[in-house]
Amino acid sequence: MKYVFTFDEDRCSACGACRMGCIDQNDIDIESGESCFRRTYEDEIELKDGGLYCVYLSAACMHCENAPCIDACPAGCIKKDQETGFTVYDNTNCIGCKSCALACPFGAPVFRKSDGKMVKCDGCNIRVKNGLKPACVRACSFGALDCVAEADFNASEGGKACSQLLKNLGLQKYS
Amino acid sequence: MTELEEKLKAKIPGADTGIEVKRSICAICSPSHHCGLNCYVKDGTIIRVEGDPDHPYSHGKLCTKGSATRSYVYRKDRIRTPMRRIGERGEGKFEPISWDEAYQLIAQGLNRVKTEYSPHSVAFFSGYSKWYRPIYQRFAHVFGSVNFGTDDSVCAVAMKMGDNLTTGGGAAPDMAHSNTFLGWNFDGYYSEHLSIEGVQKLKARGGKVIIIDIRKTPAAKNLADIFLQIRPGTDGALALGMAKLIIDNGWADMDYVERYTYGFDQYKELAGQYPLEKVSEITGLRAEDIYEAAKVFATNGPACTNFSASALVHRINGFNTHRSIVCLMALTGNYDRVGGNYPVPATYLRQPAGFSTRDELFRNERYPKDGPERIGAQRFPLWESSFNEFQAMDLLRTLEEGTPYPVKAIFALGMNAKMFPETERLLEAMKEHLDFFVDVDVFMTRAAAYADIVLPACTSVERSELKCYRGGYLYYTRPVIEPLYESKSDVDILCELAKAMDLDDDLLKSGYEACLDWMIEGCGITMAELKESGRPMLVPTAKWPVKPGSCLENGFRTPTGKIEFYATAVAAIDPKYGLDPLPSYRDSLEDQNDPDTKADYPFYLCTGARVAYSIHSRSQRTPWLRSMCPVPTCEINQEDARRLDIANGDQVTISSPYGSIRMRAHVTGKTLAGVVLAQHGYTEANVNSLLGRDHLDPYTGFPGYKGMRCNISKYEGG
Repeated sequence: MKYVFTFDEDRCSACGACRMGCIDQNDIDIESGESCFRRTYEDEIELKDGGLYCVYLSAACMHCENAPCIDACPAGCIKKDQETGFTVYDNTNCIGCKSCALACPFGAPVFRKSDGKMVKCDGCNIRVKNGLKPACVRACSFGALDCVAEADFNASEGGKACSQLLKNLGLQKYS
Repeated sequence: MTELEEKLKAKIPGADTGIEVKRSICAICSPSHHCGLNCYVKDGTIIRVEGDPDHPYSHGKLCTKGSATRSYVYRKDRIRTPMRRIGERGEGKFEPISWDEAYQLIAQGLNRVKTEYSPHSVAFFSGYSKWYRPIYQRFAHVFGSVNFGTDDSVCAVAMKMGDNLTTGGGAAPDMAHSNTFLGWNFDGYYSEHLSIEGVQKLKARGGKVIIIDIRKTPAAKNLADIFLQIRPGTDGALALGMAKLIIDNGWADMDYVERYTYGFDQYKELAGQYPLEKVSEITGLRAEDIYEAAKVFATNGPACTNFSASALVHRINGFNTHRSIVCLMALTGNYDRVGGNYPVPATYLRQPAGFSTRDELFRNERYPKDGPERIGAQRFPLWESSFNEFQAMDLLRTLEEGTPYPVKAIFALGMNAKMFPETERLLEAMKEHLDFFVDVDVFMTRAAAYADIVLPACTSVERSELKCYRGGYLYYTRPVIEPLYESKSDVDILCELAKAMDLDDDLLKSGYEACLDWMIEGCGITMAELKESGRPMLVPTAKWPVKPGSCLENGFRTPTGKIEFYATAVAAIDPKYGLDPLPSYRDSLEDQNDPDTKADYPFYLCTGARVAYSIHSRSQRTPWLRSMCPVPTCEINQEDARRLDIANGDQVTISSPYGSIRMRAHVTGKTLAGVVLAQHGYTEANVNSLLGRDHLDPYTGFPGYKGMRCNISKYEGG
């Protein structure tokens, strides 16, 4: 079964719980300056009318369908997991050239100083295969972040798109 | 990699990996929460933590701090052994000693002060946490001292006093049946994360949400239908202004007011002094927004509100501000009604669970007879008559002046010096005036560095503790790992010390579980059953949910039996203290408004506003959490920053009449002009050192952490 990560911006506060879950799961050595695979962003955008839009986001590897990092890697470390659809890797042969990071539009792969290799979010592939949610999803208290079966996502997104359109038009569905 | 190696790396629990999921609770924040933990344990070490989905209160959720439990438990600055000071106080030089030696030294030190002065010259003090407090308070009283005090001197009790004196007790929002949620200083994304789901559900069924806050928060963005970004410290004026609108427009529930309240005419007269234009001017809010908020709150059917434990009462006008909001609930007939706020009596550790225990009796039954007044009693008589602890905000003065009697020893669990205004002056006074100081803590702290004896406590995952939860549950946790190093559970330390000192109390000497058996006797469940189960158990005598309406039927637990707009308990205090029985408003900088101070310190400094990744000082040195904001930071409005030539990320100096600190500026549009919001709890930039020791609410003794004067400028040093 293939999976996708979903993110609901209206429920996010950039609280960082997803980051803690990621650090915990992946033993990321924060004290030595290693980067967490998942990042949260808090930003402010000044609107044309003088108002302020507060941005709260959480992002990691997007597990792209046609992931450019796969072709960019000269050592062939990165591949798609046929079962889950996540972009997974085995960095045994990684030479630390950072090509994957350069190819990634989101800057997801990061260089790990301690062993000179690239690392990234693998969607908690093995956890998911064992019936568990990815660590970041598990840590989100507010329902902003989720990981769902692709089939369910495709089925629900139609409804979501419709709701969003109605909302943008200032309409409301009868509940 | 083999499949097993993959599973080990991914920390998949199971017999093959040898990773076991053990349950505990997180105790990093307030005892109102303490969410369930699933700890993944391998070879006696926690390797991963997530929320316990079967926990009846937290249902698998954990906040940012709880998700960083592993970083907290395995912090490198854990105190490892009992220690004796060998350097100067504050120098931080210690040598390890045995537990037996430590107990003997503590017995000698405390008994010497007891003999040379009096038992009351030993102050027993506690910072966080609160789980051991029945044991600890009894210990203090059995020792013979009236002086048991805690962080409650600055945490939540001012709010509870306001509740008790107005309605007879605290009240929970009936979110599930409400049409409007008045979120006064509410941001569940940063504090009380479990509260968000209720608000999301209320919104989903068409309910209205009003958020009142001094900054633009995630709650304001994600939840608010009406957001009032109020000028800090002026909430009391807004509440009175809303009351006037509600009364003038006929939105008040006058039948309710006549049947269930006391002092309405005086309250109406007070509110009458706050017409819309004046309130708009004081609060900085647009008149039409105030009107709209008052109208929605009062006319959209049942409305409930959150009662913020700290945000409003951390101002010198805080007590009456809180009272004025409680009064709004009474005025609109939303108190003790379905969809409003209703009383949920405390069960154990002052948390509600729908049944009774004897923990308050356990705390208080050995209170020394014929003892003197407690520390702070003469300055804060309303506190003294309302709460059974000394007011720690008078500790510094008492140490310095030695009146009405000297304090010569402090025995502390988790004393946080940075909680105290003029922190350095307190530490200096402790250094100079104390004969003996013991501090028990998980981590080495600023206060512990001044102690003569330091003892290592363990964290919640290394011990057993009793907790009650809404829904009628009692839970006696099991340790998921052995206590690290030589650390012990606080209650074991206290009970062992009671034995070593041969205190006159068989209960304490018989240990924590025997004390718990005594406290929960009669609730229908025993410690043996709880131990056997190791899971939250439904208590047979529990009545849950608690239903609204009991006070309307049986009367309120106030002197008049009614909700008191006019608080008779305040009226009973000697008039020389100048306390107003009505919830009147005064400026939160009233004691700093002389022209010189105003000119030198034109900014409004607010500290302690919550962020998701920190709670007080205890998470500032937790590496994973610290990575969210590595440098002590303050927020300043972009207009002010432009004027003062401060760029985002610049170092700034924040100063007050009491000192100055250096922080990094976060330039933002979320905070109002004229306001500096500083994070607290940093040793290297301790913002509470900028707060004067007498900048206190006269009703409660609570410090004005969230309202004092300061100046801010670009740091020009190297």
